[in-house]
Amino acid sequence: MRKNFALQGLRLFLLLMFTLAGCTAPAAPATGGESAAVPTEKIKLSLWYNPPSGGETAVCWLDTSINPFNEQSETIMVEAVAQPNAWDATRTAIAGGGGPDIVTTPGPSFAYELAQAGQLVALDDLATIEGWAESFVPWALNLGKVGDKLYSLPAEQETLVLYYNKTLFEANGWTPPTTMDEMMALAETINAAGIIPFAQSNADWRPANEHYVGEFLNHVAGPQKVYEALTGKLAWDDPVFVQAISMLNDIQQKGWFMGGLDKYYTVPDSEASAAFGNGEAAMRMTGSWYLGGINDFFGEAAGNTNEWDAVPVPSMTGDAIFDIGIGSTWSINAASEHPEAAAEFLTYWFSPAVQGEILAKCGFSPAPVRLKADALTGIDPRAAKIFEAVGAASDAGNYGYTTWTFWPPKSGVYIYEEIEKVWAGDMTAEEYLAGLQKQFQEELAAGDIPPIPER
Amino acid sequence: MPGTCQPQQAFMVLNHHAATGSAGHIFTNQAKVGKGSKLAQASEQAIPIIGTISAVRPKRRIWRKKILPWLFIAPILLLHLTVVMGPSLAAIYYSLTDWSGIGPATYIGLENFRTLIFDDMAYRSALGNNLTWLALFMTIPFVLALATAYLLAQVVRGSMFFRTMLFLPYILPSVISAAIWRNLLSPRVGVGAQLELLGITGLDFAWLGNPKTALFSIAFVDNWHFWGFLMVLFLAAMQNISPDLYDAAKIDGANRWREFVHITIPGIRPTLVFMLMMVGIWSFLSFEYIWILTQGGPAGSSEVLAVLVYKQAFNRFEAGYAAAIGLSMSFFAGLVIGLFVLLRRMGWEI
Repeated sequence: MRKNFALQGLRLFLLLMFTLAGCTAPAAPATGGESAAVPTEKIKLSLWYNPPSGGETAVCWLDTSINPFNEQSETIMVEAVAQPNAWDATRTAIAGGGGPDIVTTPGPSFAYELAQAGQLVALDDLATIEGWAESFVPWALNLGKVGDKLYSLPAEQETLVLYYNKTLFEANGWTPPTTMDEMMALAETINAAGIIPFAQSNADWRPANEHYVGEFLNHVAGPQKVYEALTGKLAWDDPVFVQAISMLNDIQQKGWFMGGLDKYYTVPDSEASAAFGNGEAAMRMTGSWYLGGINDFFGEAAGNTNEWDAVPVPSMTGDAIFDIGIGSTWSINAASEHPEAAAEFLTYWFSPAVQGEILAKCGFSPAPVRLKADALTGIDPRAAKIFEAVGAASDAGNYGYTTWTFWPPKSGVYIYEEIEKVWAGDMTAEEYLAGLQKQFQEELAAGDIPPIPER
Repeated sequence: MPGTCQPQQAFMVLNHHAATGSAGHIFTNQAKVGKGSKLAQASEQAIPIIGTISAVRPKRRIWRKKILPWLFIAPILLLHLTVVMGPSLAAIYYSLTDWSGIGPATYIGLENFRTLIFDDMAYRSALGNNLTWLALFMTIPFVLALATAYLLAQVVRGSMFFRTMLFLPYILPSVISAAIWRNLLSPRVGVGAQLELLGITGLDFAWLGNPKTALFSIAFVDNWHFWGFLMVLFLAAMQNISPDLYDAAKIDGANRWREFVHITIPGIRPTLVFMLMMVGIWSFLSFEYIWILTQGGPAGSSEVLAVLVYKQAFNRFEAGYAAAIGLSMSFFAGLVIGLFVLLRRMGWEI
């Protein structure tokens, strides 16, 4: 019995060894004495990505931007692996000396940390060879610099706009606001009518707080003042910023965000969007990423007959201001064995043609590259209007700054964590901004501020 | 062959005695059995053999007593050293550095601990929340579990149904439990909102959205998931108490309460004390329900040390400082253990 067991164990072991050997053995020559040509192995590049919400979008993204490259390239194969939280996986793997060849991060400040630690390849030479300076808009590549060297390429250009329930507005004779004063007066009217002025909540994404802080800093104080503060020429506790935070606090105290602070903290995003779609709420201040899902809450898909539209988030002056953000960055891992191949793929992926395709076919925010004139053809005209306006603002250098793109990481966390203490009454707007100034100064002194493009 | 002892037999005799103690027992036994017996004769023949094997005996004893046990525990020891000791030592090292979590670290001495003790208000707030959490979990689930286990121990028909139902929340994944309760506690679609529709007002409250109630609401949800586990442990311990003790108490005129206090509690004391200690330790490690339900908000009102560690390490890129906070959590857990050890040394029957 024992002997049989041992014999079977030996057989199993040999079988396993042969199987493993078969896995790694080169292709065997064809039988019949003919020597078959051994195909050259493609260089394999690994890429970890956060799967875009919704399976269809993920498939579309792969079919539009990854699979065509693999089909056309004779030398490179990109293996894209969906990771539910790609950044956590990447950070851990890189700390251990591994990680994918193409490193994606949630924004420039994250890439900045990796670059400072020597984990990314400097891209300057590759940028010259591949001609990236010609395809990106002027300010974009500066965001990937640490010191004088380029380490990351920005993807997913974002902005925030004011979406509104067009049908509800028309039924009540309301006009979309262009100035902050108009917006506050309109919110007062909407609230008095028993409708929630803004369908906002942070229950699903607590850092959503920073969207509103950033919007009010840029649209009340103005992008020029924000630029001065980001470059250390103006303190964050300047009265213009105090006014901005006070206005935001005023909105929260009046319960205009989702009907009250308690609901702002607890209502899931899907519920807030449903309230916006069915007319229970009138407006929603959020990012261009919302374009991918907004139609789920309006019209036939949502069981109502309502329509939506969008305008720039109002400003004190009435000027249209678009705050620019970068949703992710792409770099090359310093541990990659094939940086040139990775650069070739990046050139393909960041080409205006591919970026136009992922926008038109998948509704995915494109990188800040010079899109072709027909790139917006065929997409929802309301979305096209937003992308056109952002492109124009970005080309003219007349844009605002999102906190997750232009603020250093600790100040960024401070912005969305501590603002809740202002809303809770534990801290004044002045104290909040004095704390931000202190934190920002520490990071400024340490040289941790992402590069701020000149205005 | 009768009257003789083959070397193998002698070896077996030797082994037996080696296993039972010292070789002196052989001579003692020999005296007992008497010189004329067959066993005595066998023993006499065995003595020279013992003499030849005794030279290798210490080596065998070293192998069996000193080396073999280590080989048995070597795999788990190696795993422990790799998974626990390695990171623990690394955490001590990184707590003395300004490590961002990526790349090299610079030694900064005790600066992280100085900041933590003297400057960091978020740390103090989180520690305060941990102590509140500790107080809640050292009392409420124990009272619930003890009372229910005591009552269930006396239920015969349907007891398995009740045990299963009460234990069920413990085996649900925390993400699912949290999602269920998040909906139940929602001010718009939760239980309170539905009661509001029925005319019962005042309960459509955002329990997780109010700084005054968020921590207690999460503790309620975590406790809902946890107390059934405690109850099952106590129930198992109670079933080991001899029924005679209860019968005797009844004869002496003890009521249910006195039975519970004087028989049940002393009878399950080892389980009770062990779980008090474990819950004390676990209270400083609580993370998942808080993270899923509020991420420490609103306004830091439900932030505990484990949440703070996560934020410092992964949001603020201050992994060195996070390691210092983590070590302080170990210190508090050690205090809990130390307290129980101290009480035992002071003579407490725990």
